[in-house]
Amino acid sequence: MITLENVNKVFLLPHERKATLRQRFVSLSRKNIYEKLYALREVNLKVDKGEFLGIIGKNGSGKSTLLKLIAKVLEPTSGKIIVRGNVAPFLELGVGFQGDLTVKDNIFLYGALLGMSRREIADKYDWIIDFARLERFVDAKLKNLSSGMQVRLGFSITVAIESPILLVDEVLAVGDIDFQQKCYGSFGGFKKDGRTIVFVSHDLNAVEQFCDRVVLLENGEIKSQGGTGKVVDEYWKSIKST
Amino acid sequence: MPSYTKTLKQDIALGRKNYFYLTLVMAITDFKVKYDNSVLGYLWSLLKPLLMFGTLYLVFSVFVRWEMENYKLYLLLGIILWNFFSEVTLNSMVLLEGKSMILKKVFFPRWIIVIASSLTSVMTLFLNMCVFFIFFSFSGISLHVKSLFLIICLMELYFLAVGWAFCLCALFPKFRDIHHIWEVFVQLGFWATPIIYPISIVHAKYHKFIFLNPIARIIQASREVIIGADTNFLVLSNHIYLVFVSVGLFFVGLSFYNRMSKSFAEDL
Repeated sequence: MITLENVNKVFLLPHERKATLRQRFVSLSRKNIYEKLYALREVNLKVDKGEFLGIIGKNGSGKSTLLKLIAKVLEPTSGKIIVRGNVAPFLELGVGFQGDLTVKDNIFLYGALLGMSRREIADKYDWIIDFARLERFVDAKLKNLSSGMQVRLGFSITVAIESPILLVDEVLAVGDIDFQQKCYGSFGGFKKDGRTIVFVSHDLNAVEQFCDRVVLLENGEIKSQGGTGKVVDEYWKSIKST
Repeated sequence: MPSYTKTLKQDIALGRKNYFYLTLVMAITDFKVKYDNSVLGYLWSLLKPLLMFGTLYLVFSVFVRWEMENYKLYLLLGIILWNFFSEVTLNSMVLLEGKSMILKKVFFPRWIIVIASSLTSVMTLFLNMCVFFIFFSFSGISLHVKSLFLIICLMELYFLAVGWAFCLCALFPKFRDIHHIWEVFVQLGFWATPIIYPISIVHAKYHKFIFLNPIARIIQASREVIIGADTNFLVLSNHIYLVFVSVGLFFVGLSFYNRMSKSFAEDL
């Protein structure tokens, strides 16, 4: 379903960033000094259909970069990424929302952004509103909703997509407990449907509860992967030893 | 194989065939957001060119007097078409910057942004053309069969503008200056193109330089089709040249843009 072969992602950290033409011209003669930052180094990973894969690691270990590469938002510097099937990214909920539009308009906009057709969105519309518990706010402008409500709406729309692959990046921390429970509940449903899920989280309890397999990233490299209990234990140890 | 066909095939292979709907929704959203919170709303897209037209008409028809038949229509059509070109090219960059958050988080083919922005301008153009034909109906000139050629002229203008917008947007994330530079060129182009003045006041030896600019040719051709008696720019060779340039620029721009857009998520 998802295959990564020798994937490298290098970010160039310029020590003098040249954003305008003038700066570029002025410094033409001087050599550009870049520091190579390996966000991911020689990553080989295979995620099978129907698998619930967890990715854990410290901040800056490359978790989000990995998800962005799978979502095709970023291009790998070298290596090959093969993804079979439509990807629904939960990288950041509600990122395409327009505050000046109504909740209803936003559902159609965000749905389209995630690859749904008009008909699909119309079919799911009532379900989305119901799941987000926003019946009373359908014609309100989105900017007047609380941030929690916006996240709920974003999550509901993303859940409604029937894509075989879901990428979830630490997005559930914002909602209230009720909603979190509901989200985790729907994860169980996804698993039953046989969807493939890549789940990035610092919430090790959730990881242990749902994931079939876990990958531990450290400084852009896969430090270990395998059964959930084993890898999570190793992660605990590495935290304690430092 | 040029890269645009490749990405399109990859996109379809991914099972996401709803790009047409996404483009449409984005364009409509853009149009709605633009005129939201303003009392006159959509009317502004009509008022802006009309106010510009009013000012220029006052100056060049009352103060300075060109000797020209139907100068009013000549001027109005010129302004509308030029505005369309400048709007497509400038707004696409603004929209690209506005969508930078989405680009970093969600994958969709990046050309959708430019096309959506151009569709917003097409809506404005359509409204403006309606106003133009209201003026036209008071002028007493009647439409001919040849007036249908206007559609071809508009298509040429569209492909040219979008092609150029692709080129500008491809460079924009790395060189933000391009927006400011292009703003200046749009101003220059407005005066270098026979929009407010009749081409007859320019010395003939300069004509070939003026008409190197395909926009000038399109605007002249559109006028001849609807208002004028001349047919200098309706000849086939002129349109072969225009179609070649505009469609060529469109595809060159698209493939250039597609290549550059791979790193947009990092540059924007």
